[in-house]
Amino acid sequence: MEKLFPEYPFSIQNIENGLWLIIALPLLGALINGVFGKALGRKNVHWVACASVGGSFLLSLLVMWALGNVNTSVFNPFSPDISRYALSADYGTWFSAGSFKVSFGLWADRLSATMLLVITGVGFLIHLYSTSYMEHDKGYAKYFCFLNLFVAMMLTLVLADSLVLLFVGWEGVGLCSYLLIGFWYDDNAKAWAGRKAFITNRIGDFGFLVASFLLVLLVTAAVREAPQGTPVSSYRFSTGLSEKGPLAFQSLSALATTLAATDTTAKPNQETPALVMNRDIETGPLKGYSYAGVLTAVLLFFLLGAAGKSAQLPLYVWLPDAMAGPTPVSALIHAATMVTAGVYLFCRISYLVVLSPFAMATIAVVGCLTALIAALIAFAQDDIKKILAYSTVSQLGFMFMGIGCGLFWAAFLHVVTHAFFKACMFLGAGSVMHGNGDETNIKRLGGLRREMPWTSWTFLIGTLAITGIVPLSGFFSKDAILFGLETQQLTGYVPVLHTLYWLGLIAAACTAFYMVRLYVLTFEGKRSPLAKLPHAHESAWPMTLPLVVLAALSVLAIAHGLPLLSLPHSPHHSQTLMEAYLFPVFNVANQLGADTQKLLKTGLDKTEWTSLLWTGWFKAWLIALVSGGISALLYFKLWRGGRKFPAILEPLRRFAQNKFFVDELYELLFIERAKGLAKGLYRYVDAFFVDRVAVHGTAQTVGFLGRVLCWFQNGNVQAYASAIALALAVGLTYALLQVLS
Amino acid sequence: MNASSSPLLNYVVFLPMAFAFLVLLLPGNEKGQIRFATLLGMLVNLVTGIWAFAAFNPAGSEFQLEYRLFWLSDLGISYHLGVDGLAVALVLLTALLGPLVVLSSWRFVEERVKEFHVCLLVLQTAMMGALCSLDVMLFYIFFEAMLIPMYFLIGVFGSEERQKAALKFFLYTLVGSLLMLLALLWVFFLSGPEGTRSFDYAALYNNLMEANREVSLCMQNNAHCSNLSATAAALLKWGPWMFGAFALAFAIKVPMFPVHTWLPDAHVQAPVAGSMVLAGVLLKMGTFGFWRYAMPLFPAQAWAYQNVLVALSLIGIVYGALMCLAQKDIKKLIAYSSVSHMGFCMLGMLTFQAEGTMGAAYQMLNHGVSTGALFLLFGMLYERRHLRNMTDYGGIAKAMPIFTVFFLIITFSSIAVPGTNGFVGEFLVLLGTFKSNLPLWAGILATTGVIFGAAYMLWVVQRVFFGPVTQQANAGLKDLRFREFVTALPLVLLVFVMGLKPQPILEVLSPSVKRYVARVHQAKPNPESNTARELLRMHVRELPTPKLAQAQVDDSQPLNQPGERQ
Repeated sequence: MEKLFPEYPFSIQNIENGLWLIIALPLLGALINGVFGKALGRKNVHWVACASVGGSFLLSLLVMWALGNVNTSVFNPFSPDISRYALSADYGTWFSAGSFKVSFGLWADRLSATMLLVITGVGFLIHLYSTSYMEHDKGYAKYFCFLNLFVAMMLTLVLADSLVLLFVGWEGVGLCSYLLIGFWYDDNAKAWAGRKAFITNRIGDFGFLVASFLLVLLVTAAVREAPQGTPVSSYRFSTGLSEKGPLAFQSLSALATTLAATDTTAKPNQETPALVMNRDIETGPLKGYSYAGVLTAVLLFFLLGAAGKSAQLPLYVWLPDAMAGPTPVSALIHAATMVTAGVYLFCRISYLVVLSPFAMATIAVVGCLTALIAALIAFAQDDIKKILAYSTVSQLGFMFMGIGCGLFWAAFLHVVTHAFFKACMFLGAGSVMHGNGDETNIKRLGGLRREMPWTSWTFLIGTLAITGIVPLSGFFSKDAILFGLETQQLTGYVPVLHTLYWLGLIAAACTAFYMVRLYVLTFEGKRSPLAKLPHAHESAWPMTLPLVVLAALSVLAIAHGLPLLSLPHSPHHSQTLMEAYLFPVFNVANQLGADTQKLLKTGLDKTEWTSLLWTGWFKAWLIALVSGGISALLYFKLWRGGRKFPAILEPLRRFAQNKFFVDELYELLFIERAKGLAKGLYRYVDAFFVDRVAVHGTAQTVGFLGRVLCWFQNGNVQAYASAIALALAVGLTYALLQVLS
Repeated sequence: MNASSSPLLNYVVFLPMAFAFLVLLLPGNEKGQIRFATLLGMLVNLVTGIWAFAAFNPAGSEFQLEYRLFWLSDLGISYHLGVDGLAVALVLLTALLGPLVVLSSWRFVEERVKEFHVCLLVLQTAMMGALCSLDVMLFYIFFEAMLIPMYFLIGVFGSEERQKAALKFFLYTLVGSLLMLLALLWVFFLSGPEGTRSFDYAALYNNLMEANREVSLCMQNNAHCSNLSATAAALLKWGPWMFGAFALAFAIKVPMFPVHTWLPDAHVQAPVAGSMVLAGVLLKMGTFGFWRYAMPLFPAQAWAYQNVLVALSLIGIVYGALMCLAQKDIKKLIAYSSVSHMGFCMLGMLTFQAEGTMGAAYQMLNHGVSTGALFLLFGMLYERRHLRNMTDYGGIAKAMPIFTVFFLIITFSSIAVPGTNGFVGEFLVLLGTFKSNLPLWAGILATTGVIFGAAYMLWVVQRVFFGPVTQQANAGLKDLRFREFVTALPLVLLVFVMGLKPQPILEVLSPSVKRYVARVHQAKPNPESNTARELLRMHVRELPTPKLAQAQVDDSQPLNQPGERQ
């Protein structure tokens, strides 16, 4: 690749120092539009917004260019090594207390750089699209303020060099998502959807936080107990710890290396050092738990976090509702970027992921189930955006399967290609809505191909890409994942992955079916008599241009999935461009997986490998083709024009249409319970027991005693005298009795 | 090592009082003059507060800006002012809220204007005094003195059921503090033979140090119990009661579950200014009291009852949040959210460990800013509509966009979104809980607070600001006036400043945190090492008389950090 491009001509130092600008530009845009938006006027507002993201895009290109250079390397503060193909910058301490510290540190390697390009590139196109889509909206400046803020937060997420800073972006994008879903807040349902998204994400964030805290404990324990000669016991590591804190990614990488080096499952005969991955921790808060066990717990908590952000089971329910926001927002946030944050997170900490086969298998299973369930629900939906939303959930499930089988590059490739074709389709859906009076029901559309040629052609390309038809990008990325499920040797869980392979194929077949259904009902045939407008109109160029560019990218992205011609790194299987490009990022993870024998590649020779690859490709392709073909046939011919759905399948369709009643189930099981608990506690414990019985009870007892005593202190001298006399009499009687007895 | 004497804190404490006399001299119907004079007094107070904060040197001795005079020497009481890192940070917070409180009531109070503003100024003096006192009796006097103006603020200037709420507030707090007074006298008589006793905080603490050490050793190992000194024996026997009295007094102030029920009533009935001061500063007197008095004076008991207090804090966090979900009244909801947030403060402090304690200290400041701002902002809405229920609002965002933006920012601060101040505090508290000796599930349970917090705060935002405008009267509401904008802006900006640049404040807090942790850890002594113990002594300016015990030890050496278990 170095030969394709000229050497990076500028100073590496400069681009490192300027990394913050990538985030600061959209942030500045958000600030300007947020504060002066009204005064600026529409023209200037979208100039500011687009230019800031465009500027970030250019800077990201420079970063990408610089990262092509082998000399682009940074010192690792935690070990004597040099990290190649990476840039880093540190802008001082954020906060520190006790032995904990976080700094404003940025880190750009090829993984983050690819993400940067996707975010700013797709982001720019969507900004451009929005200038036309939101043309008549009253909250024009506010919209662009939020959109810019979102881009800034997403960039923070991918550029962060520690989990804490990543969490800033993580929550920040959730916040922007909340604001944008509820953008048309005067509609109660839309505002509620925003709140639902935020709270569901918060459940995930709870997992993220717990995982982070456990990691701090794990690092502390490892530093204390690691034998000499391991990365975390080095002097360098302790200086790194005081400089950047335990949650910096390089620190976690050193932790992973240490744990892997002391793993004894693979080498039972080796002399066991003091710290052993499978042995219990001896001191500290984690005492009694094993390193491996805690690590698995950490990853499962992260899975909860990722499930919230990336809409996986059981937390996917917010994403379909999130379609209440403006359509470009759905394209940018709920398809291309934010929802892939969970996948990005696991890629970032890939070295930790590979050390826990159990967690990996769980990730894969969760992904697979999500992919299937979402695909099944998508079958019965009629809302164009809802179908796309469920398909996003389903595709994210595929990415999680990729993570789960240890093919991080494939999962990430699917992130990239999905960003292109799904953004293309969402924007296409927006264009359809724009041209049809905001109609979203696909049964009331139809025949748009002639009226909206640009939209329909680009949508077709997107559909073919997601379906996995051969020359389009979705095919390569999805099949890389499926192929991985078939070939990756995840110790102890090989049968699981094989089962998931078949389930994955079914999910892929479903995808083909419902996507073709969506395309055919919307664009082919005749215009539905129920349509809102008699004729649709094609959108203006700021809307169609992004569609064309994204469609083109959906095709061109196949370059990433193609096998390279020269195979420098690996003797027996061909690497794709993406795999080779991300090699420096996932190298550690692959090494650790192989060293601990937790994650291996199949020991096939080159011919076996190739034949397996080709049959896999063929199988997947055939399934997509057949399923899509059936769907096309059905919706073109059979069920066109008000033909009834077969009565036997009707209840099933209802069930799927109502999203398997998952929302209702959650409502019943958790939300109502929590509300009931809150009301009950308030009424009976707080108001009644604590306040009425305990507090007022005390007050009333005192008051009562006071009144009783009042009765004695009535100021009546005769009463006093009689009381004295009475007491005297009783006393005397008593004394007499004592004397007599 | 004597720090140089500085009169600055006298101005910090008593200038508001001086302005109160000035206001008293003004004619009662000159409302503008009264308000202006009060504002001026608060601004002067703010300047002195900032000055004190700037003059504080984190690397210097424990107590700085000390000032000491003879006062009631026969009783062992002196007039002694001084601040450590936590106190000076709280002084800054109090000084900052002062002018905002006055501005927030500019239009709200039209009756008895003079009395209202005198109350505010006197309250300011009392709060500053409690924070700056280094004599325990002086602290107690200021601590009680806070009650009186606050009682009037609620009882005279509050809403419908103000008198009931004021009485409840007064009695509740008084019960605790009277018990504390008893315990205080007890400690005083325990602290030494006649003639050497002193109410001076440092002397009291230093005198008890040796006894505390014996008690801790005895509680760890019965073998050490045989030859206890008389003081230690008494402390062993009665320490739990004394600690209990201190803890109860401060727990009511915080407030911790189950002694929290005065707070919702007081907040609901109090005027905006009262709510702001109550949430912003008064509640911190509880946590500050734990920090300054209850824990360092009785470290062994603090450890012994750590579980109980932690359990109550955890209940406070979760239960407080659940209470919020059951409210209709917005002020009541914010009050219950305080219970939840202060639960985080207490939890952090009870980790007895550096990160958690630092988080607790920072959370005190955060809570002052964000809950103070919540009451301030809601007060602006209340001023317009005089309604407190959520159902009375809806769609406010349309009518009042700037107000909505402010409220949203404060909401995000309150639910600890990273980048706002709330995150730093909450993160450190939770991290500390995980790192401490507490069981892991305690940390996990506390972390669920982030979910509930978002649930109830966003619920309020939803019901008040979003959706269609349901009532015609809400459609025509005016957005923030210039005065209101200026009042809210500092707090809104602080949310970001404290969220993104917390380090300068954390550095001021840091020495206090280290000392707090070290002092609490006296109860887990290592019998072999005596060197670290010398560092735990307190060093203060002495009266120029040989009457009081002299403590003369070098204070400049760094403290070790026993926060993490080795």
